[in-house]
Amino acid sequence: MSPLSFAAVSGRLKARRAGVGVTRPGFAWAVPATVFFLLFAILPLVLVAVLSFTSWDGIAAPRFNGLANWTKLIHDPVMIQSLWLTLLLTALGVLTQTPISILLGVWAAGHQRNRAVLSAVFFVPLLLSATAVSVVWRAILDPNFGVPSQLTWLFGNGNLLGNQSGSIAVLTFVGLWQFTPLHALIYQGGARAVPQVLYQAAAIDGAGTVRQFFHITLPQLRNTMITSMILMVVGGLTTFDTVLILTQGGPGTDTTVSAYYMYRKAFLSFDFGAGSAIALVLVLVATLISLAVVRLSGYDKMRSTAEGI
Amino acid sequence: MESPLTSVRTGASRNRFAAIAATTALVLGLTAACGSSGGGSSSSADSGTIHVLVYGDAGNTVEKQIVDTFNKSSKVKAVLDTIPGADYQAKLNTIINTPQAPDIFFNWGGGSIQPYVKDGLLLPLDDMIAKDPGLKSNFLPSVFNTAVVDGKSYGVPMRGTQPVLLFDNKKVLAAAGLSVPQTWDDLVNDVKVLKAKGLTPIALGGGDQWPTLMWFEYMYDRIAGPELFQKALSGDKTAWASPDSQKALGMLKQLIDAGAFGSNFDSVKFTDGGSPALLAKGKAAFELMGSWEYSTQQTANPDFTRTDLGYSAFPTVSGGKGDPTNVVGNTNNFYSVLKKTQHPDAVAAFLKLMYSDAFVKAQLAIGNLPTTTNTANFLATSANPDYSQFQFNLVKAAPSFQLSWDQAYPPAATTPIHTAVQEFFDGKTDANGFIQAMQSLSNS
Amino acid sequence: MRRRPNYPAGLGSLVWLFLVGLPLYVLLISTFRTTSNYSSQGPLTFPSQLTLQNYLNDFSNGFGQDFLNTLIVTVSVVAIVLLVVPPLAYAIVRARGRRITIVFRVFLLGLAIPAQAVIVPMFYVISQAGLYDHLIGIILPTAAFCLPVCTLVLTGSMRDITPDLYEAMAMDGASPWRVFLQLVLPLSRGGLSSVVVFAALQAWNGFLFPLILTQSDSTKVITLGLYNFQTEHGVDVPGLLSAVVLSMLPIFIVYLFARRALVQGLMGVGGK
Repeated sequence: MSPLSFAAVSGRLKARRAGVGVTRPGFAWAVPATVFFLLFAILPLVLVAVLSFTSWDGIAAPRFNGLANWTKLIHDPVMIQSLWLTLLLTALGVLTQTPISILLGVWAAGHQRNRAVLSAVFFVPLLLSATAVSVVWRAILDPNFGVPSQLTWLFGNGNLLGNQSGSIAVLTFVGLWQFTPLHALIYQGGARAVPQVLYQAAAIDGAGTVRQFFHITLPQLRNTMITSMILMVVGGLTTFDTVLILTQGGPGTDTTVSAYYMYRKAFLSFDFGAGSAIALVLVLVATLISLAVVRLSGYDKMRSTAEGI
Repeated sequence: MESPLTSVRTGASRNRFAAIAATTALVLGLTAACGSSGGGSSSSADSGTIHVLVYGDAGNTVEKQIVDTFNKSSKVKAVLDTIPGADYQAKLNTIINTPQAPDIFFNWGGGSIQPYVKDGLLLPLDDMIAKDPGLKSNFLPSVFNTAVVDGKSYGVPMRGTQPVLLFDNKKVLAAAGLSVPQTWDDLVNDVKVLKAKGLTPIALGGGDQWPTLMWFEYMYDRIAGPELFQKALSGDKTAWASPDSQKALGMLKQLIDAGAFGSNFDSVKFTDGGSPALLAKGKAAFELMGSWEYSTQQTANPDFTRTDLGYSAFPTVSGGKGDPTNVVGNTNNFYSVLKKTQHPDAVAAFLKLMYSDAFVKAQLAIGNLPTTTNTANFLATSANPDYSQFQFNLVKAAPSFQLSWDQAYPPAATTPIHTAVQEFFDGKTDANGFIQAMQSLSNS
Repeated sequence: MRRRPNYPAGLGSLVWLFLVGLPLYVLLISTFRTTSNYSSQGPLTFPSQLTLQNYLNDFSNGFGQDFLNTLIVTVSVVAIVLLVVPPLAYAIVRARGRRITIVFRVFLLGLAIPAQAVIVPMFYVISQAGLYDHLIGIILPTAAFCLPVCTLVLTGSMRDITPDLYEAMAMDGASPWRVFLQLVLPLSRGGLSSVVVFAALQAWNGFLFPLILTQSDSTKVITLGLYNFQTEHGVDVPGLLSAVVLSMLPIFIVYLFARRALVQGLMGVGGK
């Protein structure tokens, strides 16, 4: 196993250079995953970038057309709108999912009776495919036979998917329902890792549950929060399945988010050049945002919570 | 909704997309990779087989049966491949110009094959028809013409016709003292009466978008005749701004504003059973829908279908230029043939089966209505003889059978059309907005 | 010793229970309805008659083969992820240098790649490799697209191992290999089980890659089988949902076991 021996050697070298008496793994440890990832994710992405400078209907051979796709995109009102919608849905997702997942995760990390059974139920949405989630929610939200017809004081005529704000609310809510379990799971892990000593000390100081939550749990969940938020941001930016099944981008183009617009261009209109350009925009935006989150939080600099270099 | 459980999946050829490699390789200048990739059996290279590609759903039982029949008497064997429904067009598009393309494939005629005709991929069937005139004369002309592009025939009908009809709930109409509307004015009046009774006069699955489009198709046909749309489709965009177009939109707007469709139609879908349930449960009195409404209702609401489901042709519009017996909808599905097929004679022999007695009977048995001239002889064997007879007469008598707009235009126009009709119905755009949206469609 | 119950979170969890419970009720109860009952009684009321027909139909519809294929894909994806992600995460957390930072950024970039975006070039890569219409052709890209999230979760979990533990190991003269096996892996069990759950879910519910990269019945996975309930103009809701429930059961069981491992793993860290 040469990579491993290489890793060992380089790790030792690194450790000596760092002047700390700690052995560190070498770069070789990262190689298998990186090569695999480059081959099956980054290489296709590069090909997407190439396609974005071509005109291709998927039938005849692609032709290079320079910046034509890009100039068209910049002047496409649906594209501009789709970016705003994407950002809006992402922001709504983060704002609604974060507090609920923290509460749920912290709760699930506790020791209440019935917790195991209940939290098993809570996390079921995580297991469902987007198709199932969308079909079930459509049935529940049916204006004539679903919940809205019973609660007219709340839903009015039940035309939730017939206008922009209603559709966005439904998409946000279904996203919340679908993805909160994943984030709650992440927070549950984080909350479990908070040293009990801190709580014991706080309890001795007479701090109540609420104060403990705000002064110990939340600050200690900082790393977890960053992980979870990056996932939410990226998940939000690439929202696709629920839009496809719940609204098909409608009414009109009111919920045509960028990922759906890309699908529309590439697989419904067979304009793979434009589709690739949108895909690339999405990837760039998502990368910038997640890098910004990472930078602002200093996440990539930290080695562990306590080390904090 | 026919029982999808009878759906049969068959083995499909391997390495279909290997050829994508070739195309992409060209982009990258990696032409050396061409042809060496995949290594699977391509349909044309295999001597003695023709591949038949169809939309994967409940109808596959008949296609399977026909392929078996064909293989009994033919040296060249047919192989049936299916693609799961919703992504049929996308997958077809990806493989059609590759060595793994089928010999014969399912399509909707009209715009769905136009891009392939343009790229010279399809075989005009006129030579085959010259040898066997029955390949054309045995089908109803209004249907057969849907797959004629630039004067050449590219498809043979292979499933059932699906005209759009006005369905009604007889019980609701009787309770309101109304009868089936013969004219547009009747319909407008019915809407008023039903609305006053607190009902949604017309069920509409606006969430699916295509049910909304059906209203435009009929209104334009009744008021302007099929010529207006044909003109627009052939590239004359002034058609959309014509007075007839304005008039059709104005009348639709009146109907919408009269509350004919209620206020929450965009949250209702046909595909998940929402709008059919409105009709069946008597919350709505009408639904404009393709002929598959009948089988959908039969599965979901058998009692209602037996006693109270009514159907009729779309009402006439006084002063309209269109023939009141015209119909719109999906004329049929078609088999088209790729130019590069190695076995044109076998293909011709296969296509002949599409007007055989066995084919017609098998289609009728699963609720489809074939469009062959000999269909009339077997209507009594259909699952619902009266209903089949009504449709067959309607289609046979129709001077024009307008293919759904979203099928008549090439696939690229489908989403813009759906968006335009939805925005017009929910009031987001006015007539001018709709006209502009339709004018911006590309017809090729 | 133990923390007192967290009342606000407890209250929230009750609300959540209702929000989760209602759709699950609709989901489950619909699978015992006939299509006509679903239409006549709507999704919410308790059905007047129950039927098992939907489930029986699923099995006569080739569910077994689909199930087996999906299982192979899922197990393989999880295996690949478990093989390559822990060393990577370990390197990201503990190794020093510019290269590893770049690698980490590449994986962060990977988070932002929607599978739809790369599906067309993915044909190219997979068919060039001669893997089209083979299960391995689904497994590789699915695993690749799991890597970013799994890496993020696992590095998060490994970061919580305190430096003094490493120092203690170092004092014993442990090699990185031993540190990895004896310290890092045991203490990141929580993260590992999250990773297993996540990867298994992605593989089990994966739709796009199987749709585009396979064709035959012999390579059909469950998510493609769900198409049997859709026709050109409609969908058999009870049939579809019963297939969904069936497809969910195995992963639910995996999840229950993984959850236990997850909790134990986290306890190990918390207790030190």
